[in-house]
Amino acid sequence: MKPLNPFALTVSVPPHRHCGTTVRDRMVMILMAMLPAAVMAAMTFGMPAVRVMALSMAAAVLAEMACDYFMDRETDVHDFNAFTVGLSFAFLLPASAPWWLVAFGSAASIVLGKMVFGPLGGSPFCAPLIGWAVCRISWPAYMDVNASMLATDLTYPLAQLKSFGLDAVRIMDTRQLFLGKQLGGLGAVQIAGVLLGGLLLVMRKHISSIIPVGVIGGTTLTAFIFHWLDPSIYASPAFHLLTGSTLFGAFFLATDGPSSPNRQVPMLLYGLMTGALIIIIRTFGVYPDGVPFAILLANLFTPVLERIRPKPFGRR
Amino acid sequence: MTIQNTSAALAEMNLTRHCPLVTCDQKVKRGERIATASAPGLGDIHAPSAGTVEHVDPYRVRLALDHGETVGPEVLDGLSGPELLARLRTLGADVPACDQVDTLIINAMDEEPGLLSRRTLLAERLELLKAGAEALVRGFVPVDVVLAVPGSVRESLPDMEVRVLPDQYPQALDPLVAKAVTGIEMPDNTLVVGLETVFHAGLIMDTGLPVMETMVTVGNSSRLIPLGTPVGEILSTDGETIRDGDRIVLGGVLRGTAAASPGQGVDRLTTAVSLTRNPAPVAVDAACVGCGECVRRCPARLDPSMITSYAEFGQYAKAEAEAVDACFECGLCGFFCIARRPMLQYIRLAKRELAKAKAQSGEETQP
Repeated sequence: MKPLNPFALTVSVPPHRHCGTTVRDRMVMILMAMLPAAVMAAMTFGMPAVRVMALSMAAAVLAEMACDYFMDRETDVHDFNAFTVGLSFAFLLPASAPWWLVAFGSAASIVLGKMVFGPLGGSPFCAPLIGWAVCRISWPAYMDVNASMLATDLTYPLAQLKSFGLDAVRIMDTRQLFLGKQLGGLGAVQIAGVLLGGLLLVMRKHISSIIPVGVIGGTTLTAFIFHWLDPSIYASPAFHLLTGSTLFGAFFLATDGPSSPNRQVPMLLYGLMTGALIIIIRTFGVYPDGVPFAILLANLFTPVLERIRPKPFGRR
Repeated sequence: MTIQNTSAALAEMNLTRHCPLVTCDQKVKRGERIATASAPGLGDIHAPSAGTVEHVDPYRVRLALDHGETVGPEVLDGLSGPELLARLRTLGADVPACDQVDTLIINAMDEEPGLLSRRTLLAERLELLKAGAEALVRGFVPVDVVLAVPGSVRESLPDMEVRVLPDQYPQALDPLVAKAVTGIEMPDNTLVVGLETVFHAGLIMDTGLPVMETMVTVGNSSRLIPLGTPVGEILSTDGETIRDGDRIVLGGVLRGTAAASPGQGVDRLTTAVSLTRNPAPVAVDAACVGCGECVRRCPARLDPSMITSYAEFGQYAKAEAEAVDACFECGLCGFFCIARRPMLQYIRLAKRELAKAKAQSGEETQP
C-alpha cells in the first residue's frame, strides 16, 4: 500500500500580500488616538468622567453582542468598533450624566446607529451621534451640560455665549480653553488631547486629512464672516474652534468611514458644509453646540456629494 | 491529484483558450505544435522537448519528456507584415491582434515590485530583443515606436524613442504606460507589447523554431526556463522544500495566480514563481466596512467598494453602470482593503458575468 502523505497547496485569489492594516488595527488606532483626550478628561472631571466612559463602552459592547445574538449572527465585537462608538458617545456627554442615560444612549448608538443597518459599514450616520440625538431630544435636562454641572467652577462657554451674549465669554483665556478648562462634552472639550489624537490619525493615514481640514476651514470661514459683519455680537473663529466638540467632530466623528464621502472634492465639500452648519446652528439654533446635528445633517448629504466623481480611466 | 514530488522529466502545458491537437500516447517531436489558440492575439503551444503525451484534458497537456528529434526551422523571410504576425502567433508568440497601430509601445517595465524578468531580458538578451522588435515593427508598421523603461536601466533598442518612467507600482501596467507615453488615457491605435513577447518573437526570428523557453523570476534572480517546467521543480532546484499548505504564486504578489499543484507548468505569461509559506490567504469573506481606502487608491478613479458589493450580490448590471470595465486589475484595492475582501476576484467575476451575458444575448439575437 502507498504511504499516505496528505499534501495540498493553498490556492487563493490575489493579492497574495496585504498592507497589513485590518479593521481591528484601525479601531485600535482610533482608540489610541482618543486616549490623550480621555486622560485629560479624567484629570479635569475626575472619577465621574471615567465612570461615564467605562459604562458607555461596556453598554456599547453588550448591546452589539445582544444584537448579534438576536440577529443570529456571529459577533464582530472583537473588531473594537463598539468600543470606539461607546467612547465617542461618552466624549459627548457631561461628566454628570446618570448611569441610565449613558447606558441607554450608548446602546441606542449601537442598535439604531449601526446594527439596524447590518454589519459595520452599512450605516448612513455616524453611530454615536444617533445615540446623542436620541438622548438630547428625550432628556434635554440631563443632557444640558450647563445645568447638570453646577458643582464645578468651570463654565460652559457656548451656553454663556447663547444666554448672555459675547461679553460673557470675552474674558475667557484661549490657553485655558485649549487645555480643556471648560465644560462641554467630557472628552470633546479636551482640545489639546483631541488635536494630538487627530493629528496622529492623519499622520498614520488612518483618516484622510481633507475632512478635518474642510470642517475646520468651514467653521473658521463662516465664523469669520459673522465676526466681520458685527464683532460686537458674534464670537471669533478661534472661540468656535476651541469650544464645544468642533475639533472632536472634525477629526473623529465627521471622518467616520461609511457615513462620509470618499473622494477628494466631495470630502472637502462635506467638511466645509459641516463647518458652516456648526456655526449656523450655534448662532441661530436653540442648541449651544451645533456639532452633532451639523454632522448628522452633513451625513445626509453624503450620497448626493458622492455623485460628484471624476470620469473613469479612459472614458471621454 | 496533487503530488508533492515533481519530476523534471515531465512538462505540463496549460491550455487557457487553446484546443489540444494531440492524443494520449502520441509521440511528439521537440517543437511540434500540440495545441492551437482559439482566441485572437494568442499564440499556439508547442512541445518544449521531444516526448510522449501522457495526459490531455481541456486545461492541460502533460508530456513525458525524452530525447528525440526537433522539428525543422521555418523560413520567415519574404513574408508581408500581417503574414509575419500570423506566423509568429503560430510559432507561439502572443502577438496582440490589432489592425491599425500608429504608436507601438514596448513595455520594458517590470509590472510589479519584485519582478525582474524584463530587466534581466534587457540586460542579457539585447540581440534577441532587437530581432523581435524589428519583426514587430515589420508586422505592425507603426509610425512611432517607443520603449518604456524604468529609471535604472541603461540599455536601449535601436530606432526607437526611449521613455523613462517612474519605477512605482502601478505605473508599469500597460494602460498607464500608454497614458504616460501618449498623454491620453486609453489612446486609439496604440499598442502596448510586453517585453517578454518581443523576446519570444526574437527567439522565433533567430532560430526559426517555436517558442520553447521564457524568462522567469525565481527568488532574487531571473533565468530562462523551458516552458512547461513544473513550478514545484523550479522551486526545489532553487533549494525550497514545498510543504503541505504552502502557496506557489505565479506572477507578482498583487495580480499573480496561485498554482493548483506543484506539477503545474510554466507558461509564456509566467513572469515569476515564488513560494509563500503563510497558509492563511489574504482574502476573507467579509462585508465592505465603507472605509473608502479603495476609492482613494484606485488609479482608474473607480469606486471598487460599490463595484465589489454589487458583484457580491449578483447585480452585475449595476457594476457595469459603475464602469467596472474601466478597471485594469492592478489589485491595489484588495491590497489596501482593511476588511480584506477579495476585491479583484469580485471585479473579475463581474466582468466575466457581463461578458457572458453579452455573448448569450448576441447569440439569441441571431436568426
